[in-house]
Amino acid sequence: MDASEVEFVAEKEVVQIIPNFSLDKIYLIGGDLGPFNPGLPVNVPVWLALNLKQRQKCRIVPPEWMDVDKLEEMRDLERKEETFTPVPSPYYMELTKLLLNHASDNIPKADEIRTLVKDLWDTRIAKLRLSADSFINQQEAHAKLDNLTLMEVNTIRAFLLDSLNCMYKLRSNLQPGSTKGQSNDY
Amino acid sequence: MPCEKKPMRYGHSEGHTEVCFDDTGKFIVTCGNDGDVRIWEGLDDDDPRFITVGEKAYSLSLKGGKLVTASSNNTVQIHTFPDGEPDGILTRFTTNATCVTFNSSGSRVAAGASDFLVKVVRVGDSSDQKTLRGHEAPVLSVSFDPKDQLLASSSCDGSVVVWNIEDQSQVTRWTLLPKSNDVSNAKSLCRLAFQPLSGKLLAVPVEDKVHLYERDTWSHVTTLSDDLLSQLVNVVSWSPCGKHLAAASVGGVIVIWDVSSKLCLERQKHEKGFTVCSVAWSPCGSQLVYTDTEGCVGLLERVCERTSAHKAPQNSAAADFDDLFDGDDDGQMDEGVSPQRPRPPEDDDVITSTGRVRNRAAFLDEDSLDTGSLKLGAGGKFPHNDDEDDDDGGSSIAPPPVAPVSLQPVYDGPLPTPPQRAFQPGSTPAHLTHRFMMWNSVGIVRCYNDEPENSVDIEFHDSAVHHSMHLSNALGHKMADISQEAVLLACPGSDQLASKLLCLHFSSWDTCKEWVVDLPSEEDVQALCLGRGFVAVATSALLLRLFSIGGLQREVFSLSGSVVCVCAHGDQLCVVYHRGRGFDGDQALGVQLRSLGPRHRLILDQPLPLSPNSHLSWMGFSAEGSLCSVDSLGVVRMLNRSLGNSWTPVCNTRDTSKSKSDHYWVIAVHENPPQVRCIPCKGSRFPPTLPRPAVAVLPFKIPLCQTSTEKGQMEEQFWRSSLLQNHFGFLSSSGFEIDEEAESRGLKEQQELLMKMFALSCKLQREFRCVELAHMMSQNAVTLAIKYASRSGRMGLAQRLSTIALEKAQEEEEQEEEEEQEEPRRFKETPRLCARQTEEGEGGGGEEEEEEPRPKKRVNPFSKDAAAASEESVLKPVTVSRVARSNPFKVSSGASPAQPRGANILDTIPNRKSTPLSSSSSKSKQSPVLKPLAPRAKSKTQSTLLQLKPKRGEQSEERPDPRPDPRPEPKSREKSSDQTPNPEETENRRPQTGFQLWLEDHSKSILADSPDLDQSELIKEAMVRFRALSAEERLTWTERAKTAMADELRKRKRDEEVGDEEVGDEEASAKKPKSAGDKLSAFAFHAV
Repeated sequence: MDASEVEFVAEKEVVQIIPNFSLDKIYLIGGDLGPFNPGLPVNVPVWLALNLKQRQKCRIVPPEWMDVDKLEEMRDLERKEETFTPVPSPYYMELTKLLLNHASDNIPKADEIRTLVKDLWDTRIAKLRLSADSFINQQEAHAKLDNLTLMEVNTIRAFLLDSLNCMYKLRSNLQPGSTKGQSNDY
Repeated sequence: MPCEKKPMRYGHSEGHTEVCFDDTGKFIVTCGNDGDVRIWEGLDDDDPRFITVGEKAYSLSLKGGKLVTASSNNTVQIHTFPDGEPDGILTRFTTNATCVTFNSSGSRVAAGASDFLVKVVRVGDSSDQKTLRGHEAPVLSVSFDPKDQLLASSSCDGSVVVWNIEDQSQVTRWTLLPKSNDVSNAKSLCRLAFQPLSGKLLAVPVEDKVHLYERDTWSHVTTLSDDLLSQLVNVVSWSPCGKHLAAASVGGVIVIWDVSSKLCLERQKHEKGFTVCSVAWSPCGSQLVYTDTEGCVGLLERVCERTSAHKAPQNSAAADFDDLFDGDDDGQMDEGVSPQRPRPPEDDDVITSTGRVRNRAAFLDEDSLDTGSLKLGAGGKFPHNDDEDDDDGGSSIAPPPVAPVSLQPVYDGPLPTPPQRAFQPGSTPAHLTHRFMMWNSVGIVRCYNDEPENSVDIEFHDSAVHHSMHLSNALGHKMADISQEAVLLACPGSDQLASKLLCLHFSSWDTCKEWVVDLPSEEDVQALCLGRGFVAVATSALLLRLFSIGGLQREVFSLSGSVVCVCAHGDQLCVVYHRGRGFDGDQALGVQLRSLGPRHRLILDQPLPLSPNSHLSWMGFSAEGSLCSVDSLGVVRMLNRSLGNSWTPVCNTRDTSKSKSDHYWVIAVHENPPQVRCIPCKGSRFPPTLPRPAVAVLPFKIPLCQTSTEKGQMEEQFWRSSLLQNHFGFLSSSGFEIDEEAESRGLKEQQELLMKMFALSCKLQREFRCVELAHMMSQNAVTLAIKYASRSGRMGLAQRLSTIALEKAQEEEEQEEEEEQEEPRRFKETPRLCARQTEEGEGGGGEEEEEEPRPKKRVNPFSKDAAAASEESVLKPVTVSRVARSNPFKVSSGASPAQPRGANILDTIPNRKSTPLSSSSSKSKQSPVLKPLAPRAKSKTQSTLLQLKPKRGEQSEERPDPRPDPRPEPKSREKSSDQTPNPEETENRRPQTGFQLWLEDHSKSILADSPDLDQSELIKEAMVRFRALSAEERLTWTERAKTAMADELRKRKRDEEVGDEEVGDEEASAKKPKSAGDKLSAFAFHAV
């Protein structure tokens, strides 16, 4: 799975916007949207929000968790805990990137939020690498990783699977040899 | 004589605050929790000097140019006064000192501390100090005896001790007070005080009274109390003359007594009811300054006027008095004596006599008054009044304790409320530097008062109306309104400039988009609003000025009270004004609603209801044009046109707010859908401009009782729905197009709710309630209710309902007739003359004309889709009415062919619309509200009527003796089919019940047995035989019947066929009972 595909999936997340136009309910396969009243918040998927934003048809209301205090708290907790802590949204990274890139003027303290989310991401990826490392070192058969997001799984998947395959090959090459050696002994 | 209470002012940060006067009475000196001592030149001094004495200052005392303070670093320090130079540390404690006081001469300072010690230190020589040990808890207060021999102190251990200073011994000790472990936990500060000059009495606050103890005998001579003093007395303070005693309580009540007569002279209440923690008399005795635990300072002026009238002579006499006794007391009071210092005499008799002498001298010596020489403690030892001459307050023995305390007449009735100021609904307070001048459903006007730049930002919610604007606000506009057509700004007038009105008429099609009007001098704009095509401005001259949107001056009229706010919607103008003076926190507001249409008229003028103790915080029209108000307690009320223009509370925003300090700032109300749009404000009443606040939507909720129960919920829904229905009538009567779909949806919802309530009442055996509900139902719903009632076996109820149905049908018919007659008249009210004439020509024409789009209907400019319309389109005739976009993905539910057989009739309500019975209703619902019903529909109603009428008769016939009736009685009908009465029909149809199947099989054999039977007799006979069968056999037949049973739709079709055939039938008399029986048995069939 490509990162852009994950981002595409994230675009179905719902975000609140304040439209500056008036439109009746629109009926889409995914569900009904609207009605749009100027000045009144309405929930729409991210893809529509970004589209409207780019056409300057709305203001985006940042999600509740996209707040400096809350993110700081989460980052600190993430740093403190050994395991992965629950993230504010299953698509926090993607949403942050999308919203900050396209609607940073509607999000107070956008730069701080970007840094904080990046910190959170880095901490989690570091943890992920560390756990992958110990997983391989200890030659465990399985591991349980809670609270991982799709994007995080996606970043490590290609590398981890390939390396595990590789190692499996190496080991399987090694093992027949050793058994051979043993059989030779007898 | 009532004194004058000055408004309190902020003095220090929150916490214990103490106050005293300087010796001349010129300065008020306070200390507080912020560690500063402030020197105020009167209470109005906005820039007091201050001396920082520590982190916190607990107590202070001032005398002879020296200021001692007890501060948080466990020391008692001296500063010079008024320069504030530090003058060394007087003494130290192991913890902080809690109270300090000078003796009357200013030579010694006593300090009590939290380490249970009281120290008496000589000011000039801090090595000369006496320590008084004996308290077992922190010391609350200390007071010097004016003769400088004794010292009284109170402590948290509950004791009050009088000490001999020289011996450092206890003279007497009482345990009077509630115990506590620290000064901060003590309920009362218990600031006791010796009577000045004579030191004859010691006043000790004990609970909610003040005890007076006599010197030397230390007996409790009297108690001063007052009804108003319901809480613990915190502080007592003697007036400098020693005649009056002021006491202040934890509850913020200050009472002043004349001690000799025990008369209460003054009662004052702290304006906020905070604890008063310090009280001080001015040296002249006419002012009383007090502080509360919130750091505020207050002042009472002209306290005990009678006394102060004599103050000057007394004071000048005091000098004489000093001279008289000069030398007498020097033996005792030789420490740092200043010549001006008064000598409190020891002997009562001497005082009395010398007092009189002095008094006389005083009156003779009036010219020599010298207020500059006033000294604290010398301020009128003998405040004689002619009538009190014999009862010298300072020296006489206190009156007997039983003397009644007579009350001076004080007005304690309802107090008038300050009238609320004029405001713009949807604006935040004008003193803010960044504020909203207006936030309504059209846009936002923000005002920035940053120095040096003043600016106004105008933003439209709908960018299609206009792009946002940014103006400089050089004129200082304070008020604004914004509409689809224009922006209106106004500034109050100043000395040079008149009050100005600026209108940015952006929707104007010419190039001049702006106009300015100057109001006459000394007339200020107080409130303004924009309607459609007009501007209304209420001014301080109690005038309401109307302008056209283009700037023409229109009508001017006077208002009957000062304006609170104005708002407009379409042609409607609402003015809220002060009807009079409200009392006890209430406002007396009146509301005027005017229509400024072609005919200017006053629609209503009535008092505006508000919650108790609240003011108006928002006023406006809903998007649909109903007047709404919001008061400061968050109750949203709506003008209910169908209830004689009364106000119905529709929402309480406080119900939804999480904490007490959270508020909702209402910006708009909508009726379709029902919404209160508001901004949640955390911890304030209004939102800040940044971060940009988000709008929240609150639903309507009518405060009915027991809304937790199912019944209460449905009642609330019903009344809410019918309240919201009002605006359709209003809009259509004022010629706007209405959302007919929404209206019919609302009507349907109401009928459904009524049916649900009906079903619930049926379940609860409340038949009377059922009938009441039926009265509220439409005719079609009543028919359904009849079905429901008869199906659930309540025949009596069904019967009552059918009479109601009959009445309703008649009413409907009459209404229709009336409407038909009214039709031409109605057209006259429509705005367009030409359209009216043509319509009149066709008045009462066929339905084809009715169904054509009506060109005379105006677009509702407030409906959301019309917002984008330009101003020309407002008056443009509409040729196509709005068609809601249909949902291509919606699964249609109404068209399902099979009708569920469940006993719950409610499940099928929407589907029933397709039945011939209710076709008239569905027809009428699709057509506009005021359209007359189509003739076809009418005939249908009549047929319903005909069908109903005989049924009732039949039932009453049947009741007494059902057996001889040729038709099967109800019970057997339940088992039999709905087809029974029409044998020919039975032949053609497929059998539906076990009995029918059986009958089909066995009719031949029955006929063979008794060939002379006719159809009805045959069935009767068959039934007897069927019953005779065993249960198992019958069951098998029923089983067979079930499998073969036709679905609901087919049955319905047959019903129709029956009806059609009946119409074709010539024998009317025979057909009616049959069809009625048909119906009844149809109900019965469902109940199987």
